[in-house]
Amino acid sequence: MRFVDEFRDADLGRALAGEILAAVESGRHYKVMEVCGGHTHSIYKYGIDDLLPANVELVHGPGCPVCVIPMGRVDDGIAIAREPGVLFACFGDMLRIPGSDGTLLDAKAEGADVRMVYSPLDALRLAKENPDREVVFFAVGFETTAPSTALTLKRAKAEGLRNFFCMCNHVTIVPPLRALLESPDLRLDGFVGPGHVATVVGARPFEFIPAQYGRPVVISGFEPLDILQSIHMILRQLGEGRCEVENQYKRVVPYEGNLAALKVLAEVFELRPHFEWRGLGFISQSALKLSDAYRDYDAEERYGVPGVRVADPKACQCGEVLKGVIKPWECKVFGTACTPEHAIGTCMVSPEGACAAYYNYGRFARERAVV
Amino acid sequence: MHADIHLAPACDHSHGCITCGDEGIPARVVEVDEAQELAVCAGEDGSRSTVETALVGAVQVGDSLLVHAGTAIARLEEERA
Repeated sequence: MRFVDEFRDADLGRALAGEILAAVESGRHYKVMEVCGGHTHSIYKYGIDDLLPANVELVHGPGCPVCVIPMGRVDDGIAIAREPGVLFACFGDMLRIPGSDGTLLDAKAEGADVRMVYSPLDALRLAKENPDREVVFFAVGFETTAPSTALTLKRAKAEGLRNFFCMCNHVTIVPPLRALLESPDLRLDGFVGPGHVATVVGARPFEFIPAQYGRPVVISGFEPLDILQSIHMILRQLGEGRCEVENQYKRVVPYEGNLAALKVLAEVFELRPHFEWRGLGFISQSALKLSDAYRDYDAEERYGVPGVRVADPKACQCGEVLKGVIKPWECKVFGTACTPEHAIGTCMVSPEGACAAYYNYGRFARERAVV
Repeated sequence: MHADIHLAPACDHSHGCITCGDEGIPARVVEVDEAQELAVCAGEDGSRSTVETALVGAVQVGDSLLVHAGTAIARLEEERA
């Protein structure tokens, strides 16, 4: 497959690993955060961390939108799904996310009509096919996914559909990054930037990281060679004393982002004053809700939700994993009480979650050479 | 340190996470509905799906797109790849 195979070449990967080794300053420890869950998934799947010297430490960031959904929001979704006559549509990953009293899958087993969809457009189709039902789409995702929801809402409005609603949980990437940079328990040297979020928002929103916090950012693609090259670019910036936003993923990401997407986001959504993130707490202006023009399509307006804040289970350390303070295997319940089949925490559910990625690809070679 | 990159089989998107960037799937346009700003696209495994094209402008049969959650978010152009 073009655009894919050439970025998985093993010989080139080994050559890049050699260049990374050459760029590492002896005795220095590097902490590099990959922001996006897609990168976390690739890193474990392809064993990228095993190619790095031990003093280049990859820290997994908060960029898995499923993992950052707090339990209270899952409870709100389940409450709507249980409303009589509601057909509740969501992405597959959300089905197994635990709320305080079970998952959406449990609610389905108990009679709620919960359907898995692959896109907001699929949810809209359900609304058209079931005119006597009210279809609620549980929207999650960063700026990559939000335009898809926005376009679907525009379409629903243009077509005059009155049985389609959206429970909006879309989040934005910059506020949690700022929160992490302000956090005293985490010292990071640089960031592998989220390539597909940047496809939408461009590289500009990440400029505050070098400008205000003095850390390099390299926007990266998702294939193994993309990630290795991005790590090399970060190390090179650090070695040369440079600090800027670089774009490794130029074949997809334009510097200014996708202007049509930004326009539709501004039209359909507005920023929430604050939103709770699992493990990170409340972060101001970090999530989206439907704008006044789309109020009629807002499921939270239509049904009202409990909106109760639920504390995470005590045993679960997803918060520390999401902040990169501990590694997945350092959590007390990792792989024992918490597995992908019976997850306690969100990070074990989505394949993008650091715990699930680590569990599924079993990277047990934790001893690596220090340069 | 391990010398080999373990090359896994092609990513199975049915097990991937739709909500994150990992799901940016390269797909080729096989049918265009210009008025609706929709296109039928074929993925690398040959599976077909309807895709929103409003964010990438007018598309033609044969164009390569990066598709995320049923929406094309970018064009894949050979000279930039």
